[in-house]
Amino acid sequence: MPEYTDNELVKLFRDADKKHYAFNLLVRKYQEKIYYFVRRMVIDHDDSDDVVQNIFIKVWNNLGSFREDSKLFTWLYRIAVNESLSFLKSKQLRSYLSLSSPEAMMVKSLHDDNFFDGPEIQRRLTEAIIKLPKKQQLVFNMRYYDDLSYDEMSKILGTSVGALKASYHFAVKKIEDFVTTV
Amino acid sequence: MKLKENISNQTNNPEQLPPVLKQLRKEASGFKVPDGYFYSLSPRIVDEIKIREHTSFIKGFVPALRKPWIWAPSMATVVVAVMLIFVVPAKKETVIPIADEWTEINMAYDASYAEEAILAESHSIDQELENKDINYSEPASLNGKNEPTKEEITKYLKEHENELLIEY
Repeated sequence: MPEYTDNELVKLFRDADKKHYAFNLLVRKYQEKIYYFVRRMVIDHDDSDDVVQNIFIKVWNNLGSFREDSKLFTWLYRIAVNESLSFLKSKQLRSYLSLSSPEAMMVKSLHDDNFFDGPEIQRRLTEAIIKLPKKQQLVFNMRYYDDLSYDEMSKILGTSVGALKASYHFAVKKIEDFVTTV
Repeated sequence: MKLKENISNQTNNPEQLPPVLKQLRKEASGFKVPDGYFYSLSPRIVDEIKIREHTSFIKGFVPALRKPWIWAPSMATVVVAVMLIFVVPAKKETVIPIADEWTEINMAYDASYAEEAILAESHSIDQELENKDINYSEPASLNGKNEPTKEEITKYLKEHENELLIEY
């Protein structure tokens, strides 16, 4: 499969004859990064699959009008963040009808998940991340797992670098406490 | 100030992570996907896009049907267009084909000819009536000219005697 830069992919996508081809390449290039980012946020595989599909459908619908004043990767991540947060919000609304909180449901889902086979310490780390406030969760995942710079995170989340550093710091502290206790 | 420095030092340098997190970072996250998931993701997304585009077309079309002010003018235009295309030419087809020029001249009706003929006929009738002496006191069918004579009756009976006897 040929390797295209993001700009080349966008140009290819704008060519009506090569739109599907470019989209397939784009999905294949970013599917794993996007999937695992979403999965760490929503935990359940089926939910992640739905969210990932929605993300790429949004990409299909809007890539034609994408302004290249930001990087494609940053734009994709922004869509992924918004879709994940709106999914979690709708899940939270649904959880008002049930007795358990959305976090408790996600922890339960993590323990019942057939597609999680890490050691217990990894499960505990994931549990600690679930218990974080949503913004700290996002910042921690982006920094710890995806190795994004604060500048990139700042562009994606629209937050100052200082605020992001603070969020990350508090997230690390809380996770460390949770993982090392017991 | 101390907190600010602490945050800055810790977050700019990944090595400042607590040992447990440093260790876990090297390992896989533990999340797995079904076999062939990433291989089939792209085609599934394309299929989903097609379904949603089709659904959005129907969703956009059905509410429009519930609003007569949207479809009524276009429907009326279509009806008029259909009538113009099919009904008007059909009427033309039922008209008797125009005869050729010669037949047309022969078949042409000239009122002056008819008037002339009527006048000529009435004139000849008048002339004939003037030349005849008609006795209006006698019945028209039993006047002296029409009545057979005795000789004619006797002659007729003699000629047809046999036939009359057979008949009666």
